[in-house]
Amino acid sequence: MAEFFNEYIFGNGPWSWLGYVVAALIACILVIHVVAVGAMGFIWLERKVAGRIQDRLGPTRVGGKFGWLQTLADGIKLIAKEDFTPDVADRFLFKIAPYVAFAASFSAFIALPFADGVVANHVNTAVFFVLAVLGLEVFGVILAGYGSGSKWSLFGAMREAAQVVSYEVPLGMCVVVPVFLCGTMNLTTIGNMQEGFITNWLVFNDPFTFVIAMVYFTCATASVNRAPFDLAEAESELVAGFHTEYSGLRWSLFFMAEYGSMFLVSGLAVILFFGGSNGPIPVGDWLANLLGGVKEGSIGANLPSLGAITVGVIGVANFILKGVIGVIVMIWIRWTFPRLRIDQVMSMCLKYCVPIAAFGFIGAVGWEVLDLPTPNNLDEKSRYEYHEKWSHEYLETQQQTKPAANDRHARQAVPTEAIITTVAVSQNAVEVNGGKQ
Amino acid sequence: MSATNIDDPRIVEFDVRTDEMLINMGPQHPSTHGVLRLALRTDGEIVADLEPHIGYLHRCAEKIGENLTARQFVPYTDRMDYLAAMNMNLGWSLTIEKLLDHDVPEKGRHLRVLIGEMNRVASHLVAMGTYGLDLGAFSPFLYAFREREKILDLFEKACGARLTYSYIAPGGATADLPGGWTAECSEFINQFKKIIPEFHTLLTTNAIFIARTAGIGVLSPRMAIDYGCTGPVLRGSGVYHDLRFHGEERYTELYDGYEFDVICMDSETGKYPDSHQGVYKDGLSYPEVPSDAILGDCWHRFYVRMLEVVQSVRLIEQSIAKYDACSGSHGEPIKLTQKLPLGEAYLETEAPRGQMGFYVVSDGQSNPWRVRARSSCFSNLYVTAPLCRGVLLADVPAVVGSLDVVMGEIDR
Amino acid sequence: MELMAVSWAYWHQFFFIIFAGSAIGFGCGVLISQNIVRMAFYLVLSLGSTAGLFFLAGAEFVGAMQLMIYVGGTMVLLIFGVMLTAQKDFVNMKTHTHDWILATVVGGSLLMVLLFVAFGSEDWRSPQDPTDAHIVDTKAATPLGLALTGVRVDKLDDLNDPLNQGKSGYLMPFIIISVHLLVVLIGAAYMARTKKLSHATGLRSSRARLSVFKMEEEDEVLEEETYVVLRKDKQATNPLDTNDDNADNLDEA
Repeated sequence: MAEFFNEYIFGNGPWSWLGYVVAALIACILVIHVVAVGAMGFIWLERKVAGRIQDRLGPTRVGGKFGWLQTLADGIKLIAKEDFTPDVADRFLFKIAPYVAFAASFSAFIALPFADGVVANHVNTAVFFVLAVLGLEVFGVILAGYGSGSKWSLFGAMREAAQVVSYEVPLGMCVVVPVFLCGTMNLTTIGNMQEGFITNWLVFNDPFTFVIAMVYFTCATASVNRAPFDLAEAESELVAGFHTEYSGLRWSLFFMAEYGSMFLVSGLAVILFFGGSNGPIPVGDWLANLLGGVKEGSIGANLPSLGAITVGVIGVANFILKGVIGVIVMIWIRWTFPRLRIDQVMSMCLKYCVPIAAFGFIGAVGWEVLDLPTPNNLDEKSRYEYHEKWSHEYLETQQQTKPAANDRHARQAVPTEAIITTVAVSQNAVEVNGGKQ
Repeated sequence: MSATNIDDPRIVEFDVRTDEMLINMGPQHPSTHGVLRLALRTDGEIVADLEPHIGYLHRCAEKIGENLTARQFVPYTDRMDYLAAMNMNLGWSLTIEKLLDHDVPEKGRHLRVLIGEMNRVASHLVAMGTYGLDLGAFSPFLYAFREREKILDLFEKACGARLTYSYIAPGGATADLPGGWTAECSEFINQFKKIIPEFHTLLTTNAIFIARTAGIGVLSPRMAIDYGCTGPVLRGSGVYHDLRFHGEERYTELYDGYEFDVICMDSETGKYPDSHQGVYKDGLSYPEVPSDAILGDCWHRFYVRMLEVVQSVRLIEQSIAKYDACSGSHGEPIKLTQKLPLGEAYLETEAPRGQMGFYVVSDGQSNPWRVRARSSCFSNLYVTAPLCRGVLLADVPAVVGSLDVVMGEIDR
Repeated sequence: MELMAVSWAYWHQFFFIIFAGSAIGFGCGVLISQNIVRMAFYLVLSLGSTAGLFFLAGAEFVGAMQLMIYVGGTMVLLIFGVMLTAQKDFVNMKTHTHDWILATVVGGSLLMVLLFVAFGSEDWRSPQDPTDAHIVDTKAATPLGLALTGVRVDKLDDLNDPLNQGKSGYLMPFIIISVHLLVVLIGAAYMARTKKLSHATGLRSSRARLSVFKMEEEDEVLEEETYVVLRKDKQATNPLDTNDDNADNLDEA
């Protein structure tokens, strides 16, 4: 896209950077739309599901019988509200806090693949990146609580920060299990390696991984401050916790961040445990053949084939459907259970989630080391087969461009083949995985 | 620090602590049951002291009573405990009838039991729903209110009002029940019996609910009596006392011929009375008391209310049968300007929230010389302060909710 | 292809200027600002921009590590500490003039040393030919992980050094640091534990008050609670045996 801009609009001289900036901005805006429209959809979904659980209907007026546009109407109302900050507030921090929270939630979508190759930026250490960025959301909350200048908000912010930071530990432990099962931190690869029938999904790999998936979901719910862990927003106790003083657009930014994070952790669970963009039955191959074109058409510099596009669309649809199911489960839990106290939340993290995650981790490792039977065929696949297609072609085009003589980057970068061979050599040398590649 | 610390509580051991914060809960607050202001002093998350401030809903009802006749005062009793207005009306009517030494005919007696117990069910439904809401469980609140709506529809058919009925008046009731009312009531009761186990599933046996309420706010029987707590608060601490059994003759004869149990944990067996005669799901006994629950804690007070609902349903079924079998007058109310004889009368009744007493002193006129309402919640509320010392902040709504206070009754 | 190589360079410089500028700018903000909480927040933004620089250089792993450890760990701790202690007097920090002079002298001389050393290196003396800059996904995570578990895969071909040949890794320091961190964690948990609250301590906490908030009825409260504590054993009997029921005999006026 950037080259397109540069060729036709900005020219390739000193203004070429503008092409890249515009391309980056467009990509940013697309990702923001994913988060914002997703939040709009999820708020509507929450109100409907909550209504049904509580034996009532939910929104039914705006936008037809099902109230589709209710959230849009609420958004318009919120934007039109008076913008004020409390007197005792630290104005700068008060104003910037919702943007920090939203930025953290939105940045993590950069590395989240919606299908094979359909990702904003191909980050090789995607798992690590997503975990790192998820931990930044706590800043928005802390700053909001402090900047509001009221004791209640400060209370809520402190509690929430302690909770999020504590639950990062079992969350990380749970996330490591699919990483070592697949041998890569690349989310696209992890998703691709689970293709095939539903038994290939990592959640069915061994009972320990199943337990780990459940623990992950619990810790993820705690990490995004949803009930039963929603002390920060505990309405009955602190009015509204850290966002008591926020109204209008700033408040809606917090909630966009919250629903964005909910979909993010749910999507992460889908990729890591529940098959990513793969459905329960592999239809990609014969569908692509049906429509003409190869399934693995390149999604690189050239236009992809129709088969590739179809498979991509189905993959995205699968991923979104499974992610939405995860979000519905979170909503369901919220409207059923009472709320836990902060000390109960902490003791649950330290006394239950962490030990269970640790035992599950050891168990899963043991299962693999002892080579116990698994219903999937991960053993036979090499992860480099499932590395995303873009990377093979990208690296081919890399090697075609001769790097300049004094290019330090090219000299110091370890070429892919070297990595493959060295890893193979090292695996043979230290006899890891009993000879599995 | 020296070893004499334990003995002399005025010497304090200073650990690393955060500053003490003076926090106000209320009067506008989603969790306090009405306009109640709780001034808390917290040390970080732990409550060091708590002081309830009341009076936001004071409407001078007792003074107004000196300027109205006995029948004119009935709507004012409605607005005291507005969630159990029929029981308030009943208390006032019985007191005036005691002063007048007036008896209500049989049909009126059964009518009063029927209406009073229906309102007890409605009141406990509100208590249960809002308690769940305080703790963050949003759905039981709506289920409870759905059932309560049906009760309120029945009351609207009977007297025209949904909340402040002024139905039971001194002498009987303002009007008889409309035709077919008892049939609809039976229909409601039959449907309601099936729903009671749902509430137990959602709240009573829920692990998170138990974690939030078991062992919190333990009220010893001695302290309960010293503070004057009554009703489910008292029975939840194991004190076997229910005015429908142990009260005055004039009140207990209202329940002559009815079979029901006092819901209180038996100190020897450690069990609650299980004889629900098929009201609560046939063949099923009540949910077990969890191991974490200490007698006198929030969970037991909640449980007592849940079981009292079942006993009320039993009473309603019996009273419907007796009412339908009876003929005669429902009890005409006394004259509007009835002169009250010289003297005084005090009568306490078992309202859903505790023992509600009315005291009337008359000097021979039709307006009483002094009216006094002994509010059950007033005494129940003040036990919050000793109960909440040393608990976490999130437990304060749990304790206040379990005491089930209504500010209209406290402030009058 | 050549055109592509040329055009890439400029955007790289543009983003580099943005990230480096914000890192430096917010760093200066930390120095110049007087509100301590804002200082901490500017530091967060500065470290975040540094992470952006890492991403720009293609080191995704290090960039994510920077975000997780510095911003997500160290800065959360810092902001916690600052936020909890930043009460009225301590929010604004005014730096005196002599402090400014001393800081400028020391910092400036350090900066001079740094610049001298930096420009002393051949490669950094002249501006870089823009044809060289492009982002390569260095895939540093795998060799790094393997090195930490004992196999230096980037030195496999280095047959000269007898210690290497792929065998000498960083396993020992890794284990030592892990045990070290475990000890620190246990120590911190032990130091921060809450002392057991007995009933007496519950009483104590209600007495632990600043003199400003002294409540008047202190002594009566003490009496009542000790009364309850002392009388606990007397609850075996039904307390209603002696108490008369509340049936009053007032209606014989």
